[in-house]
Amino acid sequence: MKQIVVACGSGVATSQTVASKVNRLLKENNIPAEVLAVDIKSVDRYIPSSVAYIAITKVDKEYPIPVINGIAFLTGVGQDAEFKKLVDAVNNG
Amino acid sequence: MSILQDVINWLLSLGAAIFVPIIIIIAGLIVGMKIKDAVSAGITLGVAFTGMSMLISFMSEAIGPAAEAMLKSTGINLPIVDGGWTTLSAIAWSWPYAFLMFPLMIGINIIMLIINKTKTFNADLWNVWGKIFTGVAVAAVCQPYFGTAGSIAVAFVTAAVQIVFELKMADMYQYRIEKLSGIPGVTCTHKMGFTSIFMFPIDCLLKKIPALNKRFDAAVLKDKIGIFAESHVLGFILGIIFGILARYGVAETLTLGIQASCSLTLFPVISKYFMMALEPISTAISAFMNKKFDDRTLVVGLDWPFMGGANEIWLAVFLCIPVTLICSMILPGNEILPFAGIVNNAIAVAAFLVTGGNILRMCILVIIFAPAYLWVGTVMAPFISDLARSTGAVSLKAGELISCSSIDGPIQTYAFSHLFKFLDGNFFPLALCVIFVVCFIALYRYLGREEKEGREIN
Repeated sequence: MKQIVVACGSGVATSQTVASKVNRLLKENNIPAEVLAVDIKSVDRYIPSSVAYIAITKVDKEYPIPVINGIAFLTGVGQDAEFKKLVDAVNNG
Repeated sequence: MSILQDVINWLLSLGAAIFVPIIIIIAGLIVGMKIKDAVSAGITLGVAFTGMSMLISFMSEAIGPAAEAMLKSTGINLPIVDGGWTTLSAIAWSWPYAFLMFPLMIGINIIMLIINKTKTFNADLWNVWGKIFTGVAVAAVCQPYFGTAGSIAVAFVTAAVQIVFELKMADMYQYRIEKLSGIPGVTCTHKMGFTSIFMFPIDCLLKKIPALNKRFDAAVLKDKIGIFAESHVLGFILGIIFGILARYGVAETLTLGIQASCSLTLFPVISKYFMMALEPISTAISAFMNKKFDDRTLVVGLDWPFMGGANEIWLAVFLCIPVTLICSMILPGNEILPFAGIVNNAIAVAAFLVTGGNILRMCILVIIFAPAYLWVGTVMAPFISDLARSTGAVSLKAGELISCSSIDGPIQTYAFSHLFKFLDGNFFPLALCVIFVVCFIALYRYLGREEKEGREIN
């Protein structure tokens, strides 16, 4: 099972909403990965063990793994494209 | 009819961990979830309530004696346990009328969109609990004036007014939020922003001081001190401080440090189960709304974390931690020992919005407004504890009080919920409501001009 990480202010509300939604999409598409919701203050600790980072904020830092736009999963706008990027990251990760 | 009443009363008597899951299963089936998914969500919610209750008992047993010892050693009396926002939300969801807030919020949003009074579609269905919480406070305050049925009616009317203000606030800040966050098409509907309304007149004064308009890069500082705000480290530090103030020995102090760290680390872990249980319903509602307004470009209202890329917010949050701790010790009228609610994102986001991300003015506003969070947390403690006790959402010992040291939008929540105190001759909440409305209109106009002129934010 590959790990994907998503972060928000406390690792509870917004990030878990995205995590639950993406986990459901992954399950429906039979993709062997799981999304973990974490506190944004601790996100760097989870990057090395993850294959992708779903960011809810605008990211200007460089990460060694693909960064996916998490806002798309909250608003539904551009969700399919972001999910496809995520699936590619899982397959390549 | 009386049989139905008896059945409902019996279900309520079983406690929040039973009756709220039953409500969510029914709600899930109404929005078209499969039976197995709805049942799974219901059980998850029961787990969330039971887990929170366990954790709060653990936390009170660790912190409570330290608070008592602190009273003896320093004379500072802070008997109210700070459970943070996650505890408040659990207690709010256990209000028997809580789920009726969903149709109210969605209904008002749809009407406002149809009559073109807002451009925001609020997709932040998790924070419906903020409306529930205001309702809980209103119902408790109004009970002596209007009786049970009357006070619940007033609670929903007050919540409706809050929902309208949230949408208008989301509209007015959308341009500024897009400029600051760099993310188009979204805004923030969270009531934590209401504090910025009260900050606005003070910020106007601060802006006149040229030295405060300087900008500097907050990123470096944030990376350096960020580790101290991670739940496990912060919990440990707080536990050690409490242990020292309580004149504990080294072994006891270290144990308290780890227990406090454990509490702060586990709060988000357990609170996640609330989200897991509620996510399918909120997704179903969002999908329904999206379909309904497919032909219009709407701004989507979200919870605040999408703005969390701004280092200024985190610096203000970090500054607020020692400020809150010191205030709690010296502020007359405060009875909360800040703990699980001490990471106050609410105050930082409000200051961020009103100043447009000016870190110096944000810091001053945080220091000025931090006491409001402690006072309102103290005032709200009795009804929060009563509701927790009556619904069994949290198991509290006799006389034990629980609250939160960072209630979102505390001044507005206090003003709205205590408005009818004027019937007893207390006009203070009414005056705050008037200030709120006047400042809201002034800020609305100010931000309207900013958007019209396409000004850069600095």
